[in-house]
Amino acid sequence: MKRRWQAGFLILGAMAWNSGRAAAPAKLLSIRVVPEEVTLRGAQASQRILVLGKFSDGLERDLTAESRITLADAATAGLEDGRVVALADGETWLSAEFRGRAAKIRLRIEASRQERPFRFARDIGGIFTRRGCNSSGCHGSVVGRGGFKLSSDALDPQEDYRWVTEGGVYSVFSVAPKAPSPPRINRKEPEQSLLLLKPTFGVPHGGGSLFSRGSTDYRTLLDWIRNGAPFGQEDAPIDRLDVFPKEPVLDRNGKQRLLVIARRSNGGYEDAAGLARFESADREVAEVSADGLIQAKKAGETPILIHVAGHAPVGIRVAIAASPRVEYPEVARNNLVDDHVFARLRQLSIVPSVLSSDAEFLRRLCLDVTGTLPPPERAREFLADRNPNKRRKLIETLLDSPEYVDYWTFRFADLFRVNLFVQNSIAKASQTYWEWIRDSIARNKPYDQMARERIAAQGYDGAVMHYQTVNEFRAAEDNMAEQVRVFLGRRLDCSQCHNHPYEAWSQNQFWGMAAFFGRLTRLWDQVDFVLIDYPGGHGEMGNGVRMTHPRTKEEVQPRFLDGTLLPENQLRDPRMKLAEWMTAHPYFAEATVNRMWGYFFGRGLVDPVDDIRLANPPTHPALLASLAQDFREHGHDLKRLIRTIVESRTYQLSHTPNETNKDDRLSYSRAFSRPLDAEVLWDAINQFAGVEEDSEKWRGGRASTRTRAINLMTPDLFFSQFLHVYGQPNRLTVPQRESGPSLGQALHMLAGSTYTSKLSKEGGRVDRLLKSQASDRQIIEEFYLAALVRWPSADERDTLQSWIGRRPSRRQAFEDLAWSLISSREFVYNH
Amino acid sequence: MKQLECGRRYFLRAGALGSLVGVSLPEFLRLQSVMAAGKSKAQSCILMWLKGGPSHVDTWDPKPNSSFKPISTNVAGIQISSLLPRVAKHMDKLALVRSMHTLEQDHSAATYYAMTGHRPIPAMHFPSLGSIVTKELGPRSGLPAYVLEPQWERERVYEDSFKAGFLGPEFNPMITPDPSQPGFQVPDLSLPESLPMERLQDRRALLQLVDRSFRQIEESAEYANMDRFSEQALKMILSPEVRKAFDLSQEPQKVKESYGLHGLGQSVLLARRLVENGCRFVTAAGNQVNDWDTHVLNDKKHGETLVPQLDQSFAYLLEDLEQRGLLESTLVIAMGEFGRTPHHNANGGRDHWPQCWSLALGGGGIRGGQVIGASDERGAKVSGPVTSIGDLAATIYKAFGIDWKKEYMSPIGRPVKIANAFNDVTGEPIEGLV
Repeated sequence: MKRRWQAGFLILGAMAWNSGRAAAPAKLLSIRVVPEEVTLRGAQASQRILVLGKFSDGLERDLTAESRITLADAATAGLEDGRVVALADGETWLSAEFRGRAAKIRLRIEASRQERPFRFARDIGGIFTRRGCNSSGCHGSVVGRGGFKLSSDALDPQEDYRWVTEGGVYSVFSVAPKAPSPPRINRKEPEQSLLLLKPTFGVPHGGGSLFSRGSTDYRTLLDWIRNGAPFGQEDAPIDRLDVFPKEPVLDRNGKQRLLVIARRSNGGYEDAAGLARFESADREVAEVSADGLIQAKKAGETPILIHVAGHAPVGIRVAIAASPRVEYPEVARNNLVDDHVFARLRQLSIVPSVLSSDAEFLRRLCLDVTGTLPPPERAREFLADRNPNKRRKLIETLLDSPEYVDYWTFRFADLFRVNLFVQNSIAKASQTYWEWIRDSIARNKPYDQMARERIAAQGYDGAVMHYQTVNEFRAAEDNMAEQVRVFLGRRLDCSQCHNHPYEAWSQNQFWGMAAFFGRLTRLWDQVDFVLIDYPGGHGEMGNGVRMTHPRTKEEVQPRFLDGTLLPENQLRDPRMKLAEWMTAHPYFAEATVNRMWGYFFGRGLVDPVDDIRLANPPTHPALLASLAQDFREHGHDLKRLIRTIVESRTYQLSHTPNETNKDDRLSYSRAFSRPLDAEVLWDAINQFAGVEEDSEKWRGGRASTRTRAINLMTPDLFFSQFLHVYGQPNRLTVPQRESGPSLGQALHMLAGSTYTSKLSKEGGRVDRLLKSQASDRQIIEEFYLAALVRWPSADERDTLQSWIGRRPSRRQAFEDLAWSLISSREFVYNH
Repeated sequence: MKQLECGRRYFLRAGALGSLVGVSLPEFLRLQSVMAAGKSKAQSCILMWLKGGPSHVDTWDPKPNSSFKPISTNVAGIQISSLLPRVAKHMDKLALVRSMHTLEQDHSAATYYAMTGHRPIPAMHFPSLGSIVTKELGPRSGLPAYVLEPQWERERVYEDSFKAGFLGPEFNPMITPDPSQPGFQVPDLSLPESLPMERLQDRRALLQLVDRSFRQIEESAEYANMDRFSEQALKMILSPEVRKAFDLSQEPQKVKESYGLHGLGQSVLLARRLVENGCRFVTAAGNQVNDWDTHVLNDKKHGETLVPQLDQSFAYLLEDLEQRGLLESTLVIAMGEFGRTPHHNANGGRDHWPQCWSLALGGGGIRGGQVIGASDERGAKVSGPVTSIGDLAATIYKAFGIDWKKEYMSPIGRPVKIANAFNDVTGEPIEGLV
């Protein structure tokens, strides 16, 4: 009775939230000009400025076009189309005014007479980047296009210059290159240069017509060729690109211009918009113009990629708020996760769903923390408990449970790839590796320590079995790339053969890192295997190899990603040094936190979880940084991290959508259904059926009669039709569970023994309950509590009772009910 | 969206089937193949997978260093090993490729390479030939489109070479047990006795009830797929055609004996049945545990068992397909993951030899009666241009009418060629074959 009253109150409350009552129009609080200070250096230097207005609904909107902008001294600087342009040395003020509000910034102009020297990298490279000539779909692709290759985003201007002025030869692998292609410029007859004919479609061009003969870019290129096509000065490399605003939130139909400022290593900075190409990943949500003006289309989120000549592409996330904006209610918060998530939701005008019911929470938490469903007695207890702190207590109980150790051993065995075939078909190796993982989890070993133990493993114990691997995966470069992916969340793989097409990783960086694994030597005495780093120089798992760069054929020395060489006196223990460097690197905590988050929400803050790069920005950068810092500062404690995540209200939200959030996928405004992993699902079915797997079902294996699937040390030693059709991975590759419905699953569900004979087994749950004194209603309730971790609704119970009552065989009727429960979506998904 | 398209294609076909009243499924499919034959497009494929790597000098590329003499075939100028007398009578249907050149020495890596065109790497799982064909062309009928038989109980990892990789579990093969074993039955295709059809219908009705409250909360594309597969599965289980296709007891004993009452023979027989009933791609492996991997006593094993069995099953398959009018539309390939050493080792065996090996293919519009490429006098090196796995794949795709220059985008953002030859270049269809 009381429960119904409470439920009713909740529903009313939710309805009030979901009323979608439009908020009153936002009031302008203040305006400001960005950048806050501008120094222009050199003749014709310019900088775009923005006028931004802060509003009472928390959004900052772009008011530049509607503001009145004036300059105090018209001789020093001029205004041209939203940009301040240097005219003469001096200082002046720029003022902006909008609806009675005002703001101003100081302008400093220096060296206004000093002509900017020509620089190929920027002046020509900028055209290539802006016009997309060097995009990775065209001439910037790994093999170029049409016999012409440019470096992606003008990252290698020397190479580009060579290609354009001399013609080039480019090969990725050792295939003999075809005949060199001709230079792109014609010094004798400049207007006949391919560089001019192609983009203006004077001759056939796969990329179409990009600019006309009257355009500025055409004239720049033509003049350059006429002047002898010089390379000009070297450009100071770009250290950093500052994009503003970093996380714009727009109204529907709103507009926002982007500022892009390049900070160079010589201390200079400049407006890089003239060198940039903007791309929206989802043009249905927002479009971006060639000069960086974002136009919002419909509610949602999309990354926008910014390519600037001389820098790896950078991505920012643009969100378009729902419209009309709602009267935002007060939302309770539990911890820092909520602070970040709910602040963003408020900006987007998306109201989070209500808190999950106790039943929803219980099932979800048990599966996410222990991979195990609670037995019906526990479910009853928890659902009946009146203690307002019961959720907190449950979290602690589960974190301390033996099933926690089981499940997280399984998760890390998956990630670290413990499998008989992977460990070279040596069962003892897999067992040792598995036991090391289990012991680490049981003791809640700091994760950085675990990582170091795996990367730098030596000797014959524990994590060293990671290196006792099948032939295919022995190469030093494969080892390195895998460790970086697992622990730093970055995919260097592409840069093995060529510079990374999407990121700034170079092939040299890749091989410098691979060299850390160049001394791995396996000593084998017919029985045991001992791993060391060969002290005298070069070693390998077997024969001894020198690490050579595949292109230059020179020997590579171990070099960290940031370019520093490993000092000579530390060459004896390269992997330990690498392990220390990696675990101290900010990437480590960030990648770990991101991966763990993914386990609880079905997607990482960066997704895929091991593909963190500039062009793949996190949905909540501040939250990611915050969690990473907390993780790092508290001993890389996995349990603590899990606790932080699951204690948040964000994690505990219901998965039922409301009016404002039904289209939201990326902002954690509610919980999302995720399919159970094959092993977890199987254990759940066995637990429900009250049946343990017999060892006879496992072919040729050594599992004890009571082994659950998540406790298997060497999963590939056992064959199970169920696990096979539900996508149990072979752990040969870095984890990518191929989950998702399939025909095989559907067939198995209808006719497979898991779903037929298992349920009717003697001594199983169905059998026991039927033989007991329990009434139909009690059995139904027990089934629901065991499978779905909730009481059946009155409607469900009545319908089922009457259905069962009408069947000729009570036993069969309950077996059928058991079948439908374990086949239902509610069972097969975690929600 | 891709999955919807697949479903639509299938849906249309099912509709076409329904309109041909009185035509049985095999007949309809035969009509389909006849129509397609005019455009020389293969409709299905039977891949006879000779696991372990057959010795090329003892089969398709006879040399003096083989203990077995060559014999003439029914095509002037082409000779094969005397161990293959029956196949020799069908040489006009077959093309031999003697210039295969691959890079992997190790069984699992070589199998993976042969089927996917890539070495295994930790970063991702490449899709296999069969999965790609299935994805591009979809199913032909209510049968599962892609089947692998039999499962390798002790070596499940080899099955990965035949899987769909990043294309998703939808394009994984259905893996059956060993058809040559007594009591052969494909799991999950037929209901146990305790579960008659009416009871299954009851269960499904009850499932609708139980799912009701959850469905009200949210629908998603993934759930729609669950439904679609569920319908498909039910059709399969309830349809006598599907069960019959997998039911070897339907074949007369004479036919079984003609194929050979051994692992390879029965796999191939099952493959023919499946293709006849509308399967798209069947890998008939037939042998457990690297049978062809004769490191010891090569001549005895090849000479007394392996090749004679191959001879029997392969020859009869070609005859059988021709008789049933299926040869034009069914591509048949006989290959392993590499060849074997031109010399004998100390145990009278031959070891792995990927640098020069042979395979045979025919049917499906392949122009038979010819030899592609050649090896030196001992079968040790390819003389002249090599044929890569990418070239083989391109040929097969071309036979099916699939664009072999296609690339898929993998989940790690790396484009993957479907016909990958050396050095990341797309292979070329072998001249004169298709």
